[in-house]
Amino acid sequence: MVLRTVLTHAKKHPALIPLFVIIGSGGIGASLYLMRLAMFNPDVSWDKKNNPEPWNKMAPNDQYKLFSINMDYSRLKKDRPDF
Amino acid sequence: MANHSQLNFQDASSPIMEELMGFHDHALMVALAICSLVLYLLTLMLTEKLTSNTVNAQAIELVWTILPAMVLIMLALPSLRILYMMDEINEPDLTLKAIGHQWYWSYEYTDFKDLMFDSYMIPTTDLPLGHFRLLEVDHRVVIPTSSTIRVIVTADDVLHSWAVPSLGVKTDAIPGRLNQTSLFASRPGVFYGQCSEICGANHSFMPIVVESAPLANFENWSSSISS
Repeated sequence: MVLRTVLTHAKKHPALIPLFVIIGSGGIGASLYLMRLAMFNPDVSWDKKNNPEPWNKMAPNDQYKLFSINMDYSRLKKDRPDF
Repeated sequence: MANHSQLNFQDASSPIMEELMGFHDHALMVALAICSLVLYLLTLMLTEKLTSNTVNAQAIELVWTILPAMVLIMLALPSLRILYMMDEINEPDLTLKAIGHQWYWSYEYTDFKDLMFDSYMIPTTDLPLGHFRLLEVDHRVVIPTSSTIRVIVTADDVLHSWAVPSLGVKTDAIPGRLNQTSLFASRPGVFYGQCSEICGANHSFMPIVVESAPLANFENWSSSISS
């Protein structure tokens, strides 16, 4: 329904196309990032029976953030004891 | 510390603060461009050199969608880059714990044995001549220069915030929570900061002083103070 409204408006006022593209990609990007956080962020626990506290299983050589500017996490050594 | 009537940032003493100052210059340049454009259009309109009786606004709609989008992208990309850079875990050499109390900071260097002390502001009545009013403390936080330091900030009673503007650091001290930040002093020197979260009567009187010294001097200090 929203898509049909967007298409009819875009045909009548083509100058609105950049607006739809920008807002649409912003919304899709935000939703994708939210899904990434829900699925891969170690602070989030969905499965309380099998994986109750994923924040206890973090390794120093894993990269958890989306971008890494200066740091190559894979070369960090794990020099601390396990729980 | 800031000079009298200083409006701009204090000199950067860490790589992150240098990045932040560069980004601030960039953001202000963007703001200058926008304000100049608005002022120009305003003068054109007020002197009746820019009028419009258009009903089909396709071109202008295109312009005032694309231009702000480009401005926002030009601001967002460097900002996110610095944000991710600030959050990186970068193999610290030393860990320092800063604990906020009402109304002083206490510091613990738990990599060493028994190295912990309280840091109270020196009252103005006891301040030697030439020292900085409301900024000096009795025991400074000494750190080695050019070393990555992990600082863990927390509080004992109410909210505080550990801030040193020259190093580009501000981290809230929350009771029951450990907040971690990273410090890298590029050069030796003394860097001042003040508690940055309202915490009661003496909130303005619990400053932070970080003294960055070469590693040999830091080692002398740490062995002398813990004895």
